[in-house]
Amino acid sequence: MNNSNWLIRREFWENRAIWMIPAVFGGLLLLAALFGQVSLPRLTSAHESREAAGAFLVVVGAMFYLVMGVYSTWYLLDCLYTDRKDRSILFWKSLPISDANTVLCKLLVGMIIIPLVYFAAADATALFAAFILSIRARASIGSALWNGEVWWQVQVLWMYVIVTTAVWFLPVAGWAMLMSAWAKRAVMLWAVLPPLLLYILERVFFGTRMVGHLITRRLMGLPFVSFNDPKYVWTHEGGLVDNAAAGASTPSVWHLINPSGFFTNPETWIGAAVGVALIVAAIQLRMRRSEI
Amino acid sequence: MAALIEAKDLTKKYGAHIALDRANLKVEAGRIVGLIGPNGAGKTSALRAILGLTNYEGHLTVLGREPFRDRTELMNECCFIADVAVLPSWLRVDHAIDFVAGVHPRFRRDRATAFLAKTQITGKRRMRELSKGMKTQVHLALTMAIDAKLLVLDEPTLGLDILARRAFYDALVNDYMDETRTILITTHQVEEVENLLTDIIFIDRGRIVLDTSLEDVATRFTAVAVMADRLDAARAEKPFYERHILGKVVLYFENADPAKLEGFGEIHTPSVSDLFVAKLSGGAA
Repeated sequence: MNNSNWLIRREFWENRAIWMIPAVFGGLLLLAALFGQVSLPRLTSAHESREAAGAFLVVVGAMFYLVMGVYSTWYLLDCLYTDRKDRSILFWKSLPISDANTVLCKLLVGMIIIPLVYFAAADATALFAAFILSIRARASIGSALWNGEVWWQVQVLWMYVIVTTAVWFLPVAGWAMLMSAWAKRAVMLWAVLPPLLLYILERVFFGTRMVGHLITRRLMGLPFVSFNDPKYVWTHEGGLVDNAAAGASTPSVWHLINPSGFFTNPETWIGAAVGVALIVAAIQLRMRRSEI
Repeated sequence: MAALIEAKDLTKKYGAHIALDRANLKVEAGRIVGLIGPNGAGKTSALRAILGLTNYEGHLTVLGREPFRDRTELMNECCFIADVAVLPSWLRVDHAIDFVAGVHPRFRRDRATAFLAKTQITGKRRMRELSKGMKTQVHLALTMAIDAKLLVLDEPTLGLDILARRAFYDALVNDYMDETRTILITTHQVEEVENLLTDIIFIDRGRIVLDTSLEDVATRFTAVAVMADRLDAARAEKPFYERHILGKVVLYFENADPAKLEGFGEIHTPSVSDLFVAKLSGGAA
């Protein structure tokens, strides 16, 4: 446990981008809030202002989520490769830390800690943006955007998104780490080419699209599995937290998320099992391959 | 007492290439052992196996453990510097000390900071800002502050200038070595370490050619600068190597009777580097 603590701290020393990218991205959004055009609709009812607050927080969070997805992927592709490239792996391996511990800590950073940092940055950005907008436009809008109850619901949503993303994308992360532990150069290419080649070979020899479907489903399918009906996020009558389709008298995030559906879906667990196997393989490679 | 490192039939293959071919070696506690061989002889493979960085065939124990299986536990009692250039460029000196202090139960922070206090290096510097010699000092400070039973150095002074090299070995012998420790050094620059070794192991093409203490070298090996008229008689005693320098012929004998050799010419004990050349050019006599 003590070692893990240091290993995680180490990742922050090495990858300052973990907090710098969300900080810069948040700063840019705040600049947009400061100098961009503001045209907010007049909010007449409490219902409308809840809706606006929810949509506002979700849009800010979604933007951070997209950036996070790109960065996390890059991080996982890089994390078992850089120290082999600069040979500093020989220093890390001279310390009494097991390879399993190292690999699992990097996985934890990539799948849980980086998302936590990004959502914290999203929350901070939303807070400051609401403050700025309330000064620039009308105070009522700013305070509407900062609805405490909605804010808590969105935090629940973020935690749910982090957990489901981590489980759903475990095979993708495992594959990225395996290639990161394996490739002698061009990790990105090694990560992309084999699946692409499989896809093409299947098309040429069997004329089917199994591989393509599997990959697309894994990369794009999470919202369909983890949410009740994601299209309501974007509809005018529903909104995120006021999901009328769920027929609830007290609209809430609980109607949007679908944990029982997600965690009973065989797709979730088959993917997770593949992910675990890939990570075990990455650990084995890490034990054997120390230099490029 | 059991040997600190013991290898029997240690073999390591990379595809068709055999880096270590049934190598046998033994290192006792309290010694400074030089593992010496030409480039590509299998030195690094042997060290990688001993440090648990690679799997292997054959039998190998280090401090009573199997290195590949128990690397984590082994590193509690053993430390190594594999080329000084391997500290990551982004690492800050103070963070490096914090990290090792955090994860290593035998690290003595006061010793590391005392060592660094004697240098120009400050805590907030990153490795990429330090010269190669300074990086060595940081790495040494980190490693020598660990109460390890075994220290392994793989070409530790590669790429260092002569001042940094001398400082490295002085620190090693004066500040670090005592009877509770064992040091295993690989190098192909024999002259540099000759004076500090107690034991030598020669390795060539994956095989151990010689494994002996320096005391034994004196009784086991003899070099004779043979006078021209006695050359044939001397050759009859079966030298294992013959060297021609400046018109003189030096013959190298192993386990020969000194009384017999006396008449041939001037007798001396070969230096480690001479012995290395003699042994590895073997058969070329």
